[in-house]
Amino acid sequence: MRNVADVEKAERLGRSRSRVFFMMALVFLLQQSVYFSAPSARDNSQFRIGAWLILVALMLLLIGTGGFLLKGWKVLDLLNDEASRHNRLKSQAFGFWGAMAAAITIYLTAIYQPVDLKLALHVIVTGGIGVALLSFAALERRAYRLG
Amino acid sequence: MAEHLANRLKAEREARGWTQAELAARVGVSRKTINTIENGVFVPSTITALKIAGAFGLSVEQLFSIAR
Repeated sequence: MRNVADVEKAERLGRSRSRVFFMMALVFLLQQSVYFSAPSARDNSQFRIGAWLILVALMLLLIGTGGFLLKGWKVLDLLNDEASRHNRLKSQAFGFWGAMAAAITIYLTAIYQPVDLKLALHVIVTGGIGVALLSFAALERRAYRLG
Repeated sequence: MAEHLANRLKAEREARGWTQAELAARVGVSRKTINTIENGVFVPSTITALKIAGAFGLSVEQLFSIAR
């Protein structure tokens, strides 16, 4: 048994989390669009590669944990309760299909023109992470709004 | 034929004058979980179903049923 204040706090944090996931998805997709549209962004500088890997690792941590930055909050168990874990698993499955769709698109493109390996990996990772983040945000927002 | 889990959560909760947040606090879950179960979007685990039934002082069968 918990008190209503904890439930309301978890509610506020959960709603904020769904907005943060939505914003992170937009930031990630925007950053990727720069990579795809500007050839200069595709150089092999260690800084660019390192920054992208860190960004991808952060996004995967967000998807895998449902917000590792919230660790330590005493309402974390309410925030990551059964319904949230269910939504997270669903969004990970959506992310998998997003990555598969991106991979198949690249495969079909490669039949007609050569595709750079690094670019192909960017597309697959962007498809998987972007879909997972967006679908988690959408599932959570829907869950709060029902009724 | 498609089957889904019907429930009497909203009716029992309102009969007691509880809000979703109050029921969530009694069960130890988020309001979102109660909301999604009430609306048939989310099928709870056996543990959560037992906890909810316990909060109402009912059996799981009195609260949940299979609808066709």
